[in-house]
Amino acid sequence: MTHKPHQQNPPTWAIRFFQWFCNDHLADAALGDMLELYDRRRARLGKRKADLLFICNVLFFLQPFAIRRRSESTSHHTLAMYKNYFKITWRTMSRQKMYTGITVGGLALGLATCMIIFLYVRNELSYDKRYADGNHIYRFYNDYRGAQAERWTSTSPVVAQIFKTDYPEVEKVGRLVPQKWHQAGSNLFRREDRVENTYEEGFAYADNELLSILEIPFVEGNINALAKPNSIVISKRIAEKYFPNEEAMGKTVILNDDNARPYTIGGVMEDFAAHTHLHYDFFITLTNAEFWPGEQTSWCCFNYDTYVKLRPDADPAALTLKLQSLRDDHLLPYLQNNGDQSAADIKKNHFFGLQPVRDIYINTAGVSDELHHGDIRYVWLFSGIAVFILLLACINFVNLSTAKSANRAKEVGLRKVVGSVRGYLVRQFLTESVVYSLVSFALGVGMVTLALPFFNALAGKQLALPWTTLWFLPMLLMAALVVGIIAGLYPAFYLSGFKPVDVLKGSLSKGSRSSSLRGALVVFQFTTSIVLIVGTFVINKQMQFILNSKIGFDKEQVVIVQGTNTLGEQRETFKSEVLQLADVEHVTISSYLPVSGTNRGQTAFWKEGRSKEDVAVYAQEWSVDEDYIKTLGMNITMGRDFDTRASDATAIIINQAMAKDLGLPQPIGHRITKGQVYEVIGVVEDFNFESMKGQIRSLCFVLERGGAFASVKVKSSAMASVIPALNKVWQRFMPHQPFRYAFMDERYARMYADVDRTGKIFTCFAALAIVVACLGLFALSAFMVEQRGKEISIRLVMGASMKNIFRLLTQNVVGLVLISFVIAAPLSWFMAQQWLKDYTYKTPLSWDVFAIAGVLSVLIAMSTVSYHAIRAAMTNPANRLRSE
Amino acid sequence: MKGTYLGEFEELVLLTVGILFDDAYGLAIVDELEKKTGRNIMMSSVHKALLRLEDKGYLKSRMGGATAVRGGRDKRLYILTEAGKKVLSESREMRNEMWKEIPKIVWEVTQA
Repeated sequence: MTHKPHQQNPPTWAIRFFQWFCNDHLADAALGDMLELYDRRRARLGKRKADLLFICNVLFFLQPFAIRRRSESTSHHTLAMYKNYFKITWRTMSRQKMYTGITVGGLALGLATCMIIFLYVRNELSYDKRYADGNHIYRFYNDYRGAQAERWTSTSPVVAQIFKTDYPEVEKVGRLVPQKWHQAGSNLFRREDRVENTYEEGFAYADNELLSILEIPFVEGNINALAKPNSIVISKRIAEKYFPNEEAMGKTVILNDDNARPYTIGGVMEDFAAHTHLHYDFFITLTNAEFWPGEQTSWCCFNYDTYVKLRPDADPAALTLKLQSLRDDHLLPYLQNNGDQSAADIKKNHFFGLQPVRDIYINTAGVSDELHHGDIRYVWLFSGIAVFILLLACINFVNLSTAKSANRAKEVGLRKVVGSVRGYLVRQFLTESVVYSLVSFALGVGMVTLALPFFNALAGKQLALPWTTLWFLPMLLMAALVVGIIAGLYPAFYLSGFKPVDVLKGSLSKGSRSSSLRGALVVFQFTTSIVLIVGTFVINKQMQFILNSKIGFDKEQVVIVQGTNTLGEQRETFKSEVLQLADVEHVTISSYLPVSGTNRGQTAFWKEGRSKEDVAVYAQEWSVDEDYIKTLGMNITMGRDFDTRASDATAIIINQAMAKDLGLPQPIGHRITKGQVYEVIGVVEDFNFESMKGQIRSLCFVLERGGAFASVKVKSSAMASVIPALNKVWQRFMPHQPFRYAFMDERYARMYADVDRTGKIFTCFAALAIVVACLGLFALSAFMVEQRGKEISIRLVMGASMKNIFRLLTQNVVGLVLISFVIAAPLSWFMAQQWLKDYTYKTPLSWDVFAIAGVLSVLIAMSTVSYHAIRAAMTNPANRLRSE
Repeated sequence: MKGTYLGEFEELVLLTVGILFDDAYGLAIVDELEKKTGRNIMMSSVHKALLRLEDKGYLKSRMGGATAVRGGRDKRLYILTEAGKKVLSESREMRNEMWKEIPKIVWEVTQA
């Protein structure tokens, strides 16, 4: 069947391929035809084209009619072989229960962790994907690129109007007031026809057009539900709570007992889906709203977030360039009219941008707002951990199967002798590892089902295995197959490569050949573990640091009574009655507290008489009463606290940061202005009122009574008795309002809930990774001991002490862990540095973290190994030697 | 009646086998079909049709006629069976019947 040598032939591989797949009936004749055609074509078209066409011809034969049917007997034969493979797999599995358990258990644990991380990551990435026009929805943000560069969303109410008139690319514009401001935030809420008030959270102001931009689905009413003045939209949840079994639309509700300003329900919207960046239960309309005269047309105050929907053909990049005219045509004229000295700086450094709605939750790009965010870096970090944990689990499998190779060597030899070729053996071992993987997957899914409720509680998510989706089961099976094949690949080729003669003669040294590879894999496992241990330490240390240092006020033993703004004129009486309770030290009433969820207000200040010459100092201006600083335990570093003298109405206390920003090292007695003039009477030590990621910023206190929160400082250990007493007082004043309270330290901790949560999740994953790595080491050491059993027994007989044996068995592992430490230390140092870079106030990265991680990993490794080492050293050597 | 149905392409192949009479093998059939129909014919589809026609009993085959240009490989030579001849003539008769039933006027109308 060879061709004449002078003939030029098509690629041999194509011919071989054809002969391989084509059935016998067709093969010769069809190939002959094709070769004849090839010959003809080569003469006409040249070799290259003919080759190509020949290959095409061959490929076109890849159809059912031409493909070789594996004859009945072969398929029967294959089936029988697979039956045998499964049987052998089952026997090996059940013969060595410990190893099987560790392999399967470790793999299952790793897979379960991976699945949970996968669900978590999928959830994080799924935010704001539901909009039909998601590609055209953007949120406006400010981009200040000067010193202390910052990006933030809130802007003047005017911007929305300018969008409509100046930019034809914009189809719809809607504003949102997301932060606590006037009625936005939380309110007392009741139906008009009821007396009892209930405290509700999740209020925001919104334009009517925002509803259609965000494609909010309605249960009652339609997308124009906020078109009328004084209308309000409530969520389905709230509607069911207040208007069970009746239509809520058109009903009237009252906020904060203010009968003079009733709101009409314009519509009921579906509850916000979990994976959207906004979560509100109430939208109050901005139609005809004006919070003070001239407010709607002024650039003075930035309180509104602006969302836009662009026309489908608009180019957002081009629009962003055009947007800068906002600054030159609108913002700058305003500043110049007011003689504001920041105008030059604003002209140079203030830019505007548009952020796609899909990026708001996860890809913040440094844009700060009032919302809860995910962090794309953690998505990467956790995905990385998932991959590593899976690798660790696979490594266990590889390590154990190569280590146990000695036990299988005879089987391999015998199979080869009776006619098995290497391909069959590879197939056998791959089958085996796929079975392991399938069992592990089943177990892993079970573990996930059990662990998800705990994880959800920890992460504050509602994750579930997506059984109902079409792709889930097939993907799971695919993943099981892939993992099984990847993990089994090396062992399969390693095991099937034994030479039968060596094996059967017994000259193959037992499993020693790949011990250096096993060492490398153990080093890899422990490097990963040490990095994770260091990571855990650093995250937790930073967490403790944030929570406990540089606070600047005393958050312990303070009860916050909420809703005191509704007390009205009775406020002072209430205050004095609370003060008379036993165990109460101080009481202060203010809407501003250094915890999240309380009021904030930014104001521009100048030194008196310099408002036309100097750049303004922007500072938080908090209205407090004269007991505020005492109650919160803040420190006055210069000057004095407020007191009852009349002149204090125009007195101001500033924090150290503000003194610095004003350029006043000795600020006492200086006068500063925001339009109204104040005299600085004191400086309070910087205290933390925002997330500790940034610098503590300028802040000042002015004296103004009233506010939503009464903070009550309680003498130590009397907390339990104070709450009922406070309740009693409250009920006396406000019988129709719920008594609501919170603890300051809990509220403070809530500001850092995200960091805390991440830290805990990270700790869990790190612990799991270490457990997986240790499982592997445990089994490996068991194997080592088993192998060297005879040696140990002889050593014992010759008088070796238990200590000698212990050292003999552990020194190898300790060496490996030390190598891992050398690799892991710089790696983890670098990673920790990167993570800490985001925090202004950070815990120092000291050597002790690394030392502890190193010692810990050695201890973990030692204790893992020592179980078997001690057992080996304690056995009676006679038992083992006798059996020979 | 899956077994006896004759597709258009199958019919063409069957006819070609008849034309080529003693030298009807894969490549020759491809050539002849391309010449007659002016279409681009795939070798694999011809082989597929041949195989199916043989299964249906309209063709039978034998090996023979190896040449050097084919790398020394035999051709699979096909000839029509009785059943094959019968199915061809039946198909032709059916067409004739149907032709006859088209009223003359149809042709005149299309020409007009």
